[in-house]
Amino acid sequence: MAALIMAKPNFQKQRRKLLKQLAAVPLGSGVSMLTGTDALAMGCDGGAKSLVCLFMAGGADSFNMFVPGSNQGYSDYLESRGEIAIPESGLLNVSDADQGAFGFNALLPAFKTLYDQKRMTVVSNVGTLIRPTTQSDYLAEQALPESLFAHNTQQKLWQTGAGIVSGTSSFGWGGAITEHAVTCNGPSAITPAFSIAGSNPWLDAADSRYISLNADFAVERMYGLDNISEWIPSTRLSRVGNTLEDLIAQGEASGNPAMLRTISSGIDRATVATASLHAALLRNTLPQMRYDSRNKLAKQLHLVARLIAAREELGMTRQVFFVLMGGFDTHSNQGVREPLLMQELNAAVGAYQDTIDDIGASNSVTTFTASDFGRTLTSNGNGTDHGWGGHNFVFGGAVDGGRVVGEMPSYRRNNNPDDAGEDDGSFAGRIIPKLSVNQYGATLSRWMGVDETAIQAALPDLQNFAVRDLGFMKA
Amino acid sequence: MSIMRLKNTPNWLLLLVLTVAMTACGDTVVVGDNASNGAIDNGGGQPGSPIVTPPSNVDPDAGPETPAAAPDTGDFNAGNLNPADVAAARFLTQATFGPSADTIAEFRRYGSIEAWINWQASLPVSTTKDYTEENSNGSLRGPRHHGWWNNVMDEPDQLRQRMAFALSQLFVISDVDYALGNAQYGVTDYYDMLARGSLGNFRTLLEDVTLHPAMGVYLSMVRNEKANVEKNIRPDENYAREVMQLFTLGLFELNMRGEAIPIGNPKPTYTQNDVEEFARVFTGWNYPNVRSWTDNNLTNAAYEGRMVANENFHDKGAKNLLRGTVAPAGLSAQEDISLALDNLFQHPNVPPFIAKHFIQRFTTSNPTPEYVERVAQAFVNNGSGVRGDLQAVITAVLTDEEARNGHLTLTNFGKLKEPVMRWSQLWRALDATPGPSAGGVHATADYPMEQLDSMTGQAVLRSKSVFNFYLPDNPLSAGATLTSPEMQIMSEANLAATHNNWHHQVYRFNNRSNLSDDNPRVTIINLAPLVDIAGNRNALLDWYNLHLFAGGMPTDMRETLFRFASSYPTNSQGRFELVQDTLFLILTTPQIQWQR
Repeated sequence: MAALIMAKPNFQKQRRKLLKQLAAVPLGSGVSMLTGTDALAMGCDGGAKSLVCLFMAGGADSFNMFVPGSNQGYSDYLESRGEIAIPESGLLNVSDADQGAFGFNALLPAFKTLYDQKRMTVVSNVGTLIRPTTQSDYLAEQALPESLFAHNTQQKLWQTGAGIVSGTSSFGWGGAITEHAVTCNGPSAITPAFSIAGSNPWLDAADSRYISLNADFAVERMYGLDNISEWIPSTRLSRVGNTLEDLIAQGEASGNPAMLRTISSGIDRATVATASLHAALLRNTLPQMRYDSRNKLAKQLHLVARLIAAREELGMTRQVFFVLMGGFDTHSNQGVREPLLMQELNAAVGAYQDTIDDIGASNSVTTFTASDFGRTLTSNGNGTDHGWGGHNFVFGGAVDGGRVVGEMPSYRRNNNPDDAGEDDGSFAGRIIPKLSVNQYGATLSRWMGVDETAIQAALPDLQNFAVRDLGFMKA
Repeated sequence: MSIMRLKNTPNWLLLLVLTVAMTACGDTVVVGDNASNGAIDNGGGQPGSPIVTPPSNVDPDAGPETPAAAPDTGDFNAGNLNPADVAAARFLTQATFGPSADTIAEFRRYGSIEAWINWQASLPVSTTKDYTEENSNGSLRGPRHHGWWNNVMDEPDQLRQRMAFALSQLFVISDVDYALGNAQYGVTDYYDMLARGSLGNFRTLLEDVTLHPAMGVYLSMVRNEKANVEKNIRPDENYAREVMQLFTLGLFELNMRGEAIPIGNPKPTYTQNDVEEFARVFTGWNYPNVRSWTDNNLTNAAYEGRMVANENFHDKGAKNLLRGTVAPAGLSAQEDISLALDNLFQHPNVPPFIAKHFIQRFTTSNPTPEYVERVAQAFVNNGSGVRGDLQAVITAVLTDEEARNGHLTLTNFGKLKEPVMRWSQLWRALDATPGPSAGGVHATADYPMEQLDSMTGQAVLRSKSVFNFYLPDNPLSAGATLTSPEMQIMSEANLAATHNNWHHQVYRFNNRSNLSDDNPRVTIINLAPLVDIAGNRNALLDWYNLHLFAGGMPTDMRETLFRFASSYPTNSQGRFELVQDTLFLILTTPQIQWQR
């Protein structure tokens, strides 16, 4: 591939034409280009699989999404959270065989249903960690993740699995999964990784790209190229298109500065991706997914479901997706904003999972949540501030669900052993995670078939943890 | 619900119709997959734009078919531009919303950058609030964009407007959320405040920003209370954290060159404890024009001007500020703020942090440390011993040797143009005017201005979070050491949508378009001056090179376009078609996006 990227302009142009031909021809079989023992050895067996990251941007107050029951510290929770606590009447009761009673926020009935169907697991108190970390480690500043409590840094560390931003692993663990997916899929016009929410570190990879789509409008073909235009007369159209391809190829020429080459290759990728996706989406319709058109997350997940429905035609036996819901940074007015967030999240997840079930992809699509950080247990009057650990949710037919994985943290207001802070009377309740993003990411990567060497390379701090698989995916 | 697709109706208009219809219907559920009749469909059921019968594009009033420029000799040349024009165009590309023939001549009359900047600083400030008050009830969100676009298109105080836009990407507020979405007077009051203060002192502006109610809402400092042990509540940390991380200091200690120090193992600028101490400083501020601390009858006036202190809710205890400074107990809310903002303002990170911000917004994504240091020095001392003089800072940014000659000496000097600049540059160069039924309001071929962010990821004061449209250290590509903030929003989707917008702009919405069967609200570009000179291919390419590339059109691109242009007749229609095709090509190339 490197040789191709360095190629001369006219060679670039031929490459683009080749990719477009690939894109135009349905691969049809819908199975991996690899078969039999090869596929097994490479982690590409077991049929198609799609993994979806649902990022709750801003730092989700997951302590109000999933709440401990009476035997798990509900009274501590009430005391710490004060006016922002969810009352018992606002909870939907569920239980874990080992840990006892819990409650989902009553505005998340779709979550409870998935949990009851044993298709959702709650991963308790997970967050950015370099190694297992105690309160005394925190106070002694031992091996702490960089810039705790800062949005952008913590988002990046969650998505890269790294403990520091500029360390050896600046690529995302979703990117490592993409590279594996590329291997499984074989020759395909476009990369099997999609962000429906713009740029993100999770899908960054050294040797693969991702395609960034916008759920607010149709995947459009690009006018003037491929003889598409209602407005440029046909006598001129093909010359315009060919000349534009020449100019893009000139921009990509190997001798050019990186700035120009990067812009040019971005345009090049967009031409191929939009042509290919436009065709595949047209040919693969989806059972109706019902949602309020103002629900931005649902719109994104709808596009994800469409791309999953088209995965066979696209020749993708492995796919990776990133969607994002914003607005979780509830410093103020949490009493109004949090219910709206819960309702939007619940409606989107419910409608989306129904659609996945309808297209027969229940067992081959796994969706998981992530967020910058959890929030403070305590209130600042009418909101919460930046915390650290939080609960996350994994769902789909391949999830070994109906369970809570990991220990609940202490919710105690006084002498809380899990609090990142001095016990000096200014208790905020920034909870030190007990499970690491590395363990969480490794478990999901393994389900996608990524081998141990690649997992270790993508999540280097995994070696600092005794348990390297959290066991929430079915074998 | 079902809305039939209306022939000849642009998507964005349909979207408006749908939005209005849905608002009226309350919790209307649309069936996603069948919604392909509206722009909200994400399924690719149809091409993105309505199909409208193309007009013949023949100008019925076309005059005698004699090209105004010298006849085409048929020989390629590498360009014949006046170097002073090129220098002016390049400077104006960096410092304004785009050069035009008039502004190039105007700049040359001033003779020097400093003289031009002094003239700019003396001009009356163009504002957006007055226009918004006339055209919005406070909740209608289009007008502030319309007023803003009219300003950047037509008003002479271009440098101030660029500064205000750059400041709006530093002291970020956004009205995508409902809280400020319904406070349009407050949002424009905030923006105009940035414009007024944009060539003044940073310290003054920092306090104005801190105490503006729109910022108070956005980063929840308004009604932030001192701790209450009984209720187990503590002060809100939101503003305290972001004013340090994003508005003044950044996460790590910096040297004057903008490098995190100690190099290789940088020291955090502040700790969580510092955030908690500053959170206590920022307590006790309420909306103006309300009756009580908890009065929820918030009129438009509550979001304008300056927050007011209520000492009952202010934490009067002593606070540890940064670098050993202590705010003693007993200070008023205002006294605490003054001390704390002084403490931040005097921090050695501020000069390089702010210098780099303005360099990245105006000239280059990857300045040398020496360039950062020179601009930071201007922040420290404007030459008269004043710290934080923003006019001195922007003068240093624009007059620096690297700004003027970096494109000749540094391989990757420059930046990806911000999306907003791509429209303003084209429109200003081609004397674009609002469509005949637009009521004086600009609109792109596919979206109204208030939805430019849907297509490009950028519209004024509409970022998705306080982290702006893009991060200053966004890598050019995964793992790259070069940075490109703007690359963060150059997604495939945005590229395709922008590309198609240029197609529609050039072929459907120009001065010869028959808009009776298309959308008469879209801004129209005037191709006539180009058609006049298009009989001479070199002259046409020179025009593009000067106005849209600031003299930097690559030679191989010029050769390709010259060859491409060889097959068009030189009559009026032929020249018009040549202009359309070459302009479309140029707008959609990668080369035009790189501001050198």
